[in-house]
Amino acid sequence: MAQSSIGGRAVPLPDAIDEAARLIAKSRRPLVAGLGADIAGARAALRLAAQIGASFDHMHSSWLLRDLDVAREHGVMLTTPGEARLRADVVLAVGAGLAEAGLWHVWPDMAANASAPGAAAARRILRIDAEAGDGVGFEAEAARDGAQINASFVAATLSEALALVRARVAKRPVRLGAARVAEIDAFVAQLRSAAFGVAVWSAGQMNALSLEMLCGLVRDLNAATRFTGLALQPGDNAAGVLQACGWTTGLPMRTSFGRGDADHDPWAFEAGRLMASGEADCAVWISAYGAPAPNWPRKPPLIALCGDGAVFAMPPSVEIRVGRPGVDHAGIDYCARAGTLSAFAAERPTDAPSVAYVLDQLSSALARGAPC
Amino acid sequence: MLTRIAGGRVVDPQNRRDAVGDIWMCEGRIVAPPEGGRANREFDASGMVVMAGAIDIHSHIAGANVNTARLLLPEWSRAYAPRPARTPLSALGWSTIETGRAYAAMGFTTVIEPAVAPHQALHAHLELADVPIIDKGLLCVLGNDDYLLRLLRDKAGASEIAAYVAWSLAATRALGVKVINAGAAAAFKANVRSFSLDDLVPGYGVSARAIVKALQRAVIDLGVPHPLHVHCGNLGLPAGADSVIATIEAAEGLPLHLAHIQFYAYGQDGEKKFSSAAARLAECVNAHKNVTVDVGQAMFGQTVTISSDVMRQFGAMGLASPKKWAIVDGDSNGGGIIPYNYRESDYHNAVQWAAGLELFLLIDDPSRVFFTTDHPNGAPYTAYPDLFALLMDRDLRARWMERLPKAAMAMTTLASIRREYTLGEIALMTRSAPAKLLGLPDRGHLGAGAKADVAAYRLGPDKGATLRAAALVFKDGDLVVRDGRALAGHLGRALSLGIAPDAAIERRMDDYYQSRIGLGAAFMKVPAHALGPADRFESVPCR
Repeated sequence: MAQSSIGGRAVPLPDAIDEAARLIAKSRRPLVAGLGADIAGARAALRLAAQIGASFDHMHSSWLLRDLDVAREHGVMLTTPGEARLRADVVLAVGAGLAEAGLWHVWPDMAANASAPGAAAARRILRIDAEAGDGVGFEAEAARDGAQINASFVAATLSEALALVRARVAKRPVRLGAARVAEIDAFVAQLRSAAFGVAVWSAGQMNALSLEMLCGLVRDLNAATRFTGLALQPGDNAAGVLQACGWTTGLPMRTSFGRGDADHDPWAFEAGRLMASGEADCAVWISAYGAPAPNWPRKPPLIALCGDGAVFAMPPSVEIRVGRPGVDHAGIDYCARAGTLSAFAAERPTDAPSVAYVLDQLSSALARGAPC
Repeated sequence: MLTRIAGGRVVDPQNRRDAVGDIWMCEGRIVAPPEGGRANREFDASGMVVMAGAIDIHSHIAGANVNTARLLLPEWSRAYAPRPARTPLSALGWSTIETGRAYAAMGFTTVIEPAVAPHQALHAHLELADVPIIDKGLLCVLGNDDYLLRLLRDKAGASEIAAYVAWSLAATRALGVKVINAGAAAAFKANVRSFSLDDLVPGYGVSARAIVKALQRAVIDLGVPHPLHVHCGNLGLPAGADSVIATIEAAEGLPLHLAHIQFYAYGQDGEKKFSSAAARLAECVNAHKNVTVDVGQAMFGQTVTISSDVMRQFGAMGLASPKKWAIVDGDSNGGGIIPYNYRESDYHNAVQWAAGLELFLLIDDPSRVFFTTDHPNGAPYTAYPDLFALLMDRDLRARWMERLPKAAMAMTTLASIRREYTLGEIALMTRSAPAKLLGLPDRGHLGAGAKADVAAYRLGPDKGATLRAAALVFKDGDLVVRDGRALAGHLGRALSLGIAPDAAIERRMDDYYQSRIGLGAAFMKVPAHALGPADRFESVPCR
């Protein structure tokens, strides 16, 4: 398979880079999107965005910004996977999508007890969800790892379930029948009896109000005992790229260098909107971890950096095959089990170029002044 | 290439120099004036004060907690909608790039990030590598980590603890060890809400005193130049002064550094039961020559507190302004991010401001008290020029005090203090003493062989303005600042301790992390290639 191509025609990499530089140089509102890259790739992408006055977005920004918005509007209490596994005597599994978000990868031994000295003897797993939620699925997944659900609480929606529990934690009256109130209170008692409780969620499957209610519940529980949160992270090094955006610009993704200073606007600089509205007149799509290409209308030129097997509805203007971090080349990215940035080696090193290499070449070509 | 900085007033207390003269540089080092030598490059420094590049030993400029603060406060970025001309931190270098440029513009050439959790060292190094111009180092935070607490619970010997500390320093490429509210973060996870020196961490049965003493012993035994850097318990509380004094006494004459002691310098006198205890703390520091301290001066204005003292930050959630926060029960310490506004009209804030200045002015030896605001906890580092001016000018202090609540000023001794810092004392406090404290003998002075890190300031009547914008700054002999504006190009290095752990501890740490999170210990190591070219690390030898 061709390693790089222009309009579907195989070309040597330097020619592809020159063509990409040419397309970017004549654009007025470029976009750097996808951002599925390791830390070196993300830093190179941010340098490129600053150089060309582009906006940048990550393919999982909606998920990331939902978690971030709770913190920057209200407040959050969080822990790491390592501390959760070491100390949690109560796990509160919240809502749907936990398995897809890697819960059992991050916490494969949830059935085991907390191993910290002095931790409560038996770990309990509680679940809160919408009635039409993913209870059966979650129970089956838990059972595969030998874990049992000790108690569940459901209501019509997840927001309602969380609101009812939070109200009773605060000893507020709720207008429900005595049996239902007793059911809520029994669940609340389970939460209150935690020594170090951990609520685990995936913001990819929650709405903003549910997440805010959950974070408020966690906070309220800390009036009397300890409770904290474990926010599962999307793939494609989204959490790592968020960190790199933070230290480089002071801001998360959906930020633009178009006016000089980094300018953050989660609506204005959302990649899908910029492409659909035609505001972006050239896009660089980066996906080194294998996430599929977006189904954007191909009006503006598209420069794609992606791994083997990427499928596009129409061939991008320029396509450059890049190595997969951790397989083709070494690097640094967000390690879900550790909950922090971590260095990794290559499983089977190849000479496939990294995102950082290609983008730095592109920056150099632009700095030289691309041929038009 | 031979460079001469000609005709400035050279203030270099380490080499007993305070006179008009020249500084010569060649290949990134200060050299003796060459006999009959002619400079390839010459800079006219007449009318300027020439000092070594300044060193900040305690400034939270990078890492996971700092980055959480950035992400928590998008409205403080320059371009944020509705885009006011000035935002609370618009003067502050808030991104990594701005941090390096803003520090350099003030004549700082080395800055230490003092609070990095071992698991997050790689993250912090990556951020620091993106801080241009200045050299950086970090302190690795131990003392609430499960592994160390288990060692202490099991009555491990000093050599076993030292092996673990050496391993942590090597894995994280740190320059030293810090302990932050020893044991309290672990105790907080067991729902303990206040923690003093002889309280025990539930489950482990280990006291803060035992943790501090074990780490102090290990740091000394390993020959780490920087003494154990201690953030005491009871920060911000009236019991704080007692905590600092008890910790100093527990050091039993051995080297110890106590961080940002302003935040403990409080008593319970007066109607509001909140007064300055700075005089009592200063007396204690003066009497114990084995300890060094930094102040953590509070200055007025909006800031954000970033601390790995998660127990304290949880307790301060109600003070958040604006009302938002992040509390992290992390591996080892975790931390808390609480925005905070120090107000001139606030009685408590005014006492804090005065207590910090009292500490600077009542501790006799400027080489044992270090110039910090605990950035950004007491104030952003961009407040440094104002603070220098306050130390050097009692009339300026009097003018500031007139604006502050009289009841607060009555609870301090500040009005009675006539001392003014000289330029020589400023150079001692911000150049030669920190270099010595960190084990960096080729920094902080202008003798032959020193790094060519040099700052020249154009002296004017406004001392703050003088120090805010250096006229010339050289880093490793490169001109990096001219007329207060940073020039692009210089990257700066990461200072890390040259220390090699033994194979036995490598295996133990692998086993420990495999059983805890299913990963080998390599997950938390900072590899040589982490920052790109290997020469971005500079090794600092142990004693």
